[in-house]
Amino acid sequence: METRPKIALFQCKWCLYSEPDQNWVDNELPSSMHLVKLPCTGRINPLYILNAVQGGADGIVISGCLPEKCHYKEGNLRALRQHDEFLNFLDYIGYERSRVRFVWLDLQDRGRIQKELADFKSEIAKLGKAKVLATRSKVSPGGQYA
Amino acid sequence: MPELKTELRNNIEQLLNDQAVDVVIAFKKADLPLRPQPAFFRNVEELEDLEYNGLCQNNLANYLTRYPHDTKIGIVVRGCESRSVNALIVEKQHPRENLYMIGVPCQGILDIRKIINKTGEDITDYSEDGDQVSVIFKGNEIKLQRSDLLHDSCLRCVHPNPVNADVLLGDPLPEGDPTIVRQAIEEFEALDRDERYAWFQKEAERCIRCYACREACPMCYCTECFVDHTTPRWTESDISQAGTQAWHIIRAFHQAGRCTSCGACERACPMDIKMTYLTDKLNKDMLEVYQFEAGMDDNTPPPFASFNLDDKNRFVI
Repeated sequence: METRPKIALFQCKWCLYSEPDQNWVDNELPSSMHLVKLPCTGRINPLYILNAVQGGADGIVISGCLPEKCHYKEGNLRALRQHDEFLNFLDYIGYERSRVRFVWLDLQDRGRIQKELADFKSEIAKLGKAKVLATRSKVSPGGQYA
Repeated sequence: MPELKTELRNNIEQLLNDQAVDVVIAFKKADLPLRPQPAFFRNVEELEDLEYNGLCQNNLANYLTRYPHDTKIGIVVRGCESRSVNALIVEKQHPRENLYMIGVPCQGILDIRKIINKTGEDITDYSEDGDQVSVIFKGNEIKLQRSDLLHDSCLRCVHPNPVNADVLLGDPLPEGDPTIVRQAIEEFEALDRDERYAWFQKEAERCIRCYACREACPMCYCTECFVDHTTPRWTESDISQAGTQAWHIIRAFHQAGRCTSCGACERACPMDIKMTYLTDKLNKDMLEVYQFEAGMDDNTPPPFASFNLDDKNRFVI
């Protein structure tokens, strides 16, 4: 049986300007996609991306606001610098960079996130399951916060 | 290098006598001939033990962050150490006016493992003269070439001369060749994706999570490291594959734009894990994308601590 690719969506909570889009992401996201909602793309620590990769995500989408449209003025500029380099770095040790997609959304981009996610999903389905760096043990190590 | 040591000693003696500094961070002789250890001199009498040779492995900038800001510190710096000190000044870990940097042009640090491979474990004495190194092994003197024993990261060294030092002892050395380090990275990049991952896996899986690399690194000064957090727990803290890989990736990435390629992490590693191929790649990218090299002055913030609207051209929409 062909398994559906698992996708983690890191979403800046300000980037979806139209309410239907935000509602769709909040309530109607396909079950193979996992939503992580953050105050800004600048809040994404490289560790979050690595955690998703190690935990078995086949693809990662990071959606944020355009430059100069950031709610916190400069968060997305910092995010771009860090994540760009972090993905270069992961590529250097063997991870496929095409498994991560940035979606920078503008005010008039209604309904774009659905299209992007569907497009990305079919792309990841072509790439297959992630083999590199997906090393986290499936069994929880235990403890309250594990 | 007996002349350099005498010069160094006179310099430190004068500093302590003038009470220009409270403490001088340098090296002293230790019980084992191949292992000089970091020392903190507060009195002139203690200077009997002062040592400086190619075996001084530690990056002394590591100890800078452990003093209060108002302590006047004298510190013996080689090329990479001076850049680490500058990077720490940029990050406001110690004010420049309370620092006195005694610069020593560095001819490279020797790799103890390479010496022991050529002779054996039981070395009882060590001396060096120019390009010649002589060790006493089981009563016999063995002469070795200095260039054969240099540590890997010192072979790729670009800036052997101290940057922004208050005083420079000895003659400046010629700058290193930046193509050597670039070539090494390009060779690794040219490998197949699976081969790169296999290499990374092979290196990371030997890790015993002793964190000696973190303790040896001057830029790793966080009071609580991400691997020590328990609420929430960011990564697995055991020696599982996921845990060691996450440690190596994030440790290196935290050094992006801050690492000065001193190689102290590799020298400290008890498992002989290669780490500089990770940090060198980040340094190369920082130089190519942001024209930034860590520690070349004491006021430019590292690229990840700053931002520029010009970056917006790189947003792919």
